[in-house]
Amino acid sequence: MSALFRKMEDRPWLFLAPAVIVYAVFALWPMVDVTIVSFQKWNGLDANRQFVGLANYQYIFLQDPVFWTAFINTVIWTFLSLIFPPAIGLALAIGLNREIAGRSALRAVFYLPVIIAPIAVATMWRWMYDPFFGLFAQTLTEWGLPVPDFLGQKDTALYYVFVAYVWQQVGFSMVLFLAGLQSVDRSLVEAAQIDGAGRWKIFRHVTVPAIMPTITIVLVLSLIHSLKAFDIVYGLTGGGPAQSTQMLALWAFSQSMKAFDFGRGGAVSVVLLVITVAIVIPYLRWSMSREVHE
Amino acid sequence: MRDHLNTIRKDPLLLVLWLALICFAVIWIAPFAFIVFTSLKGNGEIMSTGPFALPTELRPDNYDVAWNRGGFSRSFFNSVFVSAVKVPLGIALSAIAAYALAKMPGRFNRLVFLLIVFGTMIPFQVMLAPIFTLVNKMGLVDSYAGLILPYLAFGVPFQVFILHSFFRGVPKELSEAALIDGAGHFTIFRRIFLPISLPILAALFILDFVATWNEFAMALVIMQDQSKWTLPLGLMSFQGQFSNEYGQLNAAIVITVLPAVLVYLIFQRYFVSGLAAGAVKG
Repeated sequence: MSALFRKMEDRPWLFLAPAVIVYAVFALWPMVDVTIVSFQKWNGLDANRQFVGLANYQYIFLQDPVFWTAFINTVIWTFLSLIFPPAIGLALAIGLNREIAGRSALRAVFYLPVIIAPIAVATMWRWMYDPFFGLFAQTLTEWGLPVPDFLGQKDTALYYVFVAYVWQQVGFSMVLFLAGLQSVDRSLVEAAQIDGAGRWKIFRHVTVPAIMPTITIVLVLSLIHSLKAFDIVYGLTGGGPAQSTQMLALWAFSQSMKAFDFGRGGAVSVVLLVITVAIVIPYLRWSMSREVHE
Repeated sequence: MRDHLNTIRKDPLLLVLWLALICFAVIWIAPFAFIVFTSLKGNGEIMSTGPFALPTELRPDNYDVAWNRGGFSRSFFNSVFVSAVKVPLGIALSAIAAYALAKMPGRFNRLVFLLIVFGTMIPFQVMLAPIFTLVNKMGLVDSYAGLILPYLAFGVPFQVFILHSFFRGVPKELSEAALIDGAGHFTIFRRIFLPISLPILAALFILDFVATWNEFAMALVIMQDQSKWTLPLGLMSFQGQFSNEYGQLNAAIVITVLPAVLVYLIFQRYFVSGLAAGAVKG
């Protein structure tokens, strides 16, 4: 054993090998493979995978109505994810950034949903949305209000699923903003107060510039996170009713693993992958350049 | 407390803020209360009483019945086993790789680092089918290794990234002195770097435990045989089969969620510092 360790000395690639191999085989290769299979026709079982050119893309773009539903839903979902969880998270973080009683308990309460399995969040909310005995149905009935069919209505189901998502995600933004607010210069705030600046002015001209990097980070992470929404939709509606809550990640999965059309599923995956990479690369360049400047 | 009162007197708006936060917190915690209350009620009581009515007749047997009907002893064991192997192994791989990238000169370090950082952002939810194809080709479907290997692959980037930036900040003098004394890199890594990075390792450990414990999509694809299900799969199937057994269903939710909640409540401090280190520095 110690002889082995001695051999490892000064050979960085031996230190790197285990992590890099596992990462390359199980994370990078599937990315390549999904691109290859998107140009093929394959049911996941046959020995040979037949090359079909752009046929799968042609199908999903031109003939598959569900793809566009999933696409638009993903856009709506992403858009809402960039507004609600970050905004509420920021508001909570600003509130909790003061010396107030029970601060850490409050912080724990808002963060708690983040650490719960998304699939359990889905199960919880499915029960809360139960049209007869769920939390919302009972409360609305008590108040004498009509009870909507939360997850059964095509036009609104997606938004009810999104509410559950907000409940889970807010704490994540909040914690990042709380960390970011530490970088606000106290003396600058006090100087502004002495100069008679109001709360809004201080927020606008001192706080916001100081947390600008955090805002970028939160928005990018929220965006990436929203693109991979899978568990919560799978658990709450499974994409229904009538595919009205279908999303790209879930649709790629369904095409491959349920309909056994790995080619079409692969094409959906590639679309999602291209969108993700188009966001990730500029962001990484930005964050690398920040690191160099520091 | 007096300090708090003083600040409130100075700034009455703070009281409004505080009340608003409390209200919000009550809304945020309400789903948990509802789930726990339901899990202790019988079906008759669930249908006849209000959502936040305390259970009049406690039904702890919901937990018993759910545990047996859902085969939770099996899936609980699987979840524990997968986490117990994956989390320490993943952190060990990441730590040793991060050390090499940060402290050992190598020609491809920059390239490898960029590739790994790229991986921190790529969601595997996008690639479930090709991962299944790969695992299947290796004959590892329905095996622990078949699930743990992809978990490792998607855990490595974030951990390497965090540890790399931490190791890089360690002063040169510390390791150079040891190098001159004839210690090799592995010794330096084990004797100097591991001990000083314990807090950050603890944070990664807990974050990774929760992520592994909660993971659903990958397990759904790879663990098709019921005997290999992890808890999230068990819960999902329970919901499918017994959606009208409200008390038991909610007991099943509590069973699934409780371990992660306990870990969070006990190790809160590390959670927040770990997240902050990862996000704000990165």
